[in-house]
Amino acid sequence: MSDTAQDINRNPAIDWGLKAYVILAYAFVFAPIAASFVFSFNSDRFPSIPLGHFTLDWYRAVATDPLVWEGLRNTLFVGVTVGVLATALGFGAAYTDYRYKFLGKQVYLALALLPPTIPVVILGLAMLAYLSRIGLSGNALSVIIAHVVICAPFAMAIVRLRLSQMDPDLEAAAWNLGASEWAAMRHVIIPFAKPAILGALFITMAVSFDEFAIAWFVSGLNETLPVKVLGFLQGQVSPRINAIGTFVFVTSMTLVVLAQILLTGRGAKSRPAADE
Amino acid sequence: MRRSLSLYGLTFSLPLLVWQLLFFVFPLVFLVALSFWTVKNFAMRPDFDTVNWVTMYGRGVFWQAYGTTFAFALAAAVLTSLLAFPCSYAIAFKLSEAARRWAVFLMVIPFFTSYLVRIYSWQIFLSDAGIVNVLLGKVGLGPFPLLNTAGATMVGYLTLNFPLVVLLQLFSLVFIDRTLVEAAHNLRCGRIRTVFAVIVPSARVGLVIAALFAFILSFGDFVSPIYLGGGKATTLSILITDTTKSGQQWPRAAVIALTMIGTLLVVAFVAVRFAYKGRSK
Amino acid sequence: MQRDTLVSFEGVEKRFGGFVAVQKMDFDIRKGEFLAIMGSSGCGKTTTLRMLAGLEAPSAGVIRLAGQPINHLPTWSRDTPMVWQSLALFPFLNVRENVEFALKMRGVGKADRRRRAEQWLERMQILEFAERDISQLSGGQRQRVALARSLVVEPEILLLDEPLSALDAALKVRMQSVLKNLQRETGITFVYVTHSQSEAFSMADRVVIMSRGKIEQIGTPQEIYRTPATRFVAEFLGSSNIFTGQVKAAAGKSVTLEGPAGTFTLAAADLATPPAVGQKVSLTVLDARTRLAATAPAGAFNKVPVRMIGEEFVGATATIYLETAQGQEIRVQKSQDDLESLPLQVGKDYVAFWPHEDGHLVAEA
Repeated sequence: MSDTAQDINRNPAIDWGLKAYVILAYAFVFAPIAASFVFSFNSDRFPSIPLGHFTLDWYRAVATDPLVWEGLRNTLFVGVTVGVLATALGFGAAYTDYRYKFLGKQVYLALALLPPTIPVVILGLAMLAYLSRIGLSGNALSVIIAHVVICAPFAMAIVRLRLSQMDPDLEAAAWNLGASEWAAMRHVIIPFAKPAILGALFITMAVSFDEFAIAWFVSGLNETLPVKVLGFLQGQVSPRINAIGTFVFVTSMTLVVLAQILLTGRGAKSRPAADE
Repeated sequence: MRRSLSLYGLTFSLPLLVWQLLFFVFPLVFLVALSFWTVKNFAMRPDFDTVNWVTMYGRGVFWQAYGTTFAFALAAAVLTSLLAFPCSYAIAFKLSEAARRWAVFLMVIPFFTSYLVRIYSWQIFLSDAGIVNVLLGKVGLGPFPLLNTAGATMVGYLTLNFPLVVLLQLFSLVFIDRTLVEAAHNLRCGRIRTVFAVIVPSARVGLVIAALFAFILSFGDFVSPIYLGGGKATTLSILITDTTKSGQQWPRAAVIALTMIGTLLVVAFVAVRFAYKGRSK
Repeated sequence: MQRDTLVSFEGVEKRFGGFVAVQKMDFDIRKGEFLAIMGSSGCGKTTTLRMLAGLEAPSAGVIRLAGQPINHLPTWSRDTPMVWQSLALFPFLNVRENVEFALKMRGVGKADRRRRAEQWLERMQILEFAERDISQLSGGQRQRVALARSLVVEPEILLLDEPLSALDAALKVRMQSVLKNLQRETGITFVYVTHSQSEAFSMADRVVIMSRGKIEQIGTPQEIYRTPATRFVAEFLGSSNIFTGQVKAAAGKSVTLEGPAGTFTLAAADLATPPAVGQKVSLTVLDARTRLAATAPAGAFNKVPVRMIGEEFVGATATIYLETAQGQEIRVQKSQDDLESLPLQVGKDYVAFWPHEDGHLVAEA
């Protein structure tokens, strides 16, 4: 008999079939992402196989398009502002949920978490109608307002998760040692939640970078980059989309990886080993 | 010990509450008011008139779009759930701990790529001279018209839903008590039967919630039906974007949007009821 | 193989990577007996049970059920129902559906299923809870559901993996008698894994004691209690005084050994291989057979001078703790009445002694 006994309750054929299926599923998920990357360096106007020759033309075309630069500026401005605001609001909500019990908390939490489940077309329309009514539509500010609404829940969830890993007696211990509520917040809660706060900052930025539908509705002339892409898609189809897509992908992934390092790397260090 | 009202506490609680009231609740409430406004000479006027509701509900186009959207979203939810389940199951039960962590990490990546770019990429695959037809041509088949079909729209919905559905399913599958599976085997329940008799019922809440999210996402998406489906089949989202972007018929768009929200609420209610059916909490 | 053997382990071994969970083991389980497998955690007892259930595959050896090798059978093709430590009741099914599960898997018709499930629910006195959810039951009720779920198919053998560990002390004792009666009435072979000596000794016909993946001893509770086979068993049971020494003389069944505590003689050494002179061995004598006197008694006794360090009373029995000159702890168990004749005082010197025939020789591991 072999050293590693064959598990009698498993059928290797089924196991391999399932594993093959997993690979197939991932191939489906990553095919468009990979293709976009490959064709951003391909010379053909109408991309297909066999591949044409290697070129940076599309990147050049994008780089020399002043409208794209403007879009990028808008995107970055919106993204950074949204990141900061959404993280601040989300942190406040997470702390509220962590520490307080009050009447109507369910409603509060629903408000804090529901927005991402409403279809973006509907939110876009509602925002457009409402913001133009109060004179806030058609500029970068309106995009920021709308994006904070859908990003704050993500920030809240990330910070809340971190706070739930905190010893509930920690804050009380700080008070007991003479710290005021504000001092305990500054010296205990915020340092503890810092990795999650930074993680939330990057994640919300990444979400804002990619959001196009609401931005398309409310942005007016101050289009963000994804809205530009939507414009390209509506007009002449062009591999420039791939160039922009690859650029945005690399940017987003950098933010996500940064967030991941902050959330797991440093978070794990200050957590007891028995946690997992 | 816990004072519920203090300057300190409110500093943290209030900002989000105010923001979501001002910019989330009010816009949605305003949408309701807007649906009763009237449009004269390309200008909207505050009013209380049911004309928009009557007009929209009286149109065959609207109901046709409603039917199409509902059918598409339902098909997408069912299809995604069915295709995702073997994948989630294999990740949860057949992969090592390390491989499972990688699988989850990889499934998160699509959330940070542009959905639009991925849809454009599918055009490259599915167009008449696209990658799929070239490959089929090599074995002497086709070309088939793949783009601008309902099938292409489904590919788009799958692109949108698949990663989320896998992650949600996975989340409920990994928390299944493994001794339940062993106990079923021990009581003569075979391999495949165990999947249906134990694993699916155990993970029911997660599976239903995942399908619900797939339905909501597909129901509201306008990108796939336009850029992969070719806009041939009009969906409610397409109707909204058309009505809003061309002309001043926002009140009518509001009627569509509210109808969509109503539908989603009912569907969500039914789904959650079904998910927790027969379970005492 | 004996006629009444139901299960036999023949050279069965289990490795997980480089770790040997169960060393090569040979033993039989008899038809209709209540067998307890006992040991501390990590000794391989649960792995042994799981191999029998088909939840783990042996790395070597053959397991036979009713004479037929079952190594290759997946767990769902064996009739070896098990009761889990966690009970593993299906939370999405109610009590009745849980009990009917195994019947359904065997394709038993609906009416028949219901009837047989109800029979067992009644027998376990939980028929009134038939339509309840598992989450609505108490620990003891869940226990009964788990038993009914496994027994409803009326198997030849039932495997139990520490099923009582989650219950409180009083309920534990009650369930022990429920289990023992159930086993006696049905005649089903029970294989019961536990770390608790009182559970094993109060219910089992025979006990298997395991340590570090190895069987240390198999026997009736009486045999194991009176004549532990190894030093490990004697220490694990904790009911004997143990003296270690070298064999000075061995003639037939009579052995003399010399250790730090003194020179002792055994009348009836029953080791499989007679000990050789110079070999290191241990002598055990039950706490209850060890006697105590103020001065050394006359006659053929083994004697050890000791000093009293404490006493403990449980009910009518007292355990007196003493210490030899070398610092070894000696326990003597006596009834209250026996003690009245002997004035006891902590710090005073006594002599512990026992007749030659009460000593027992065990191999030194």
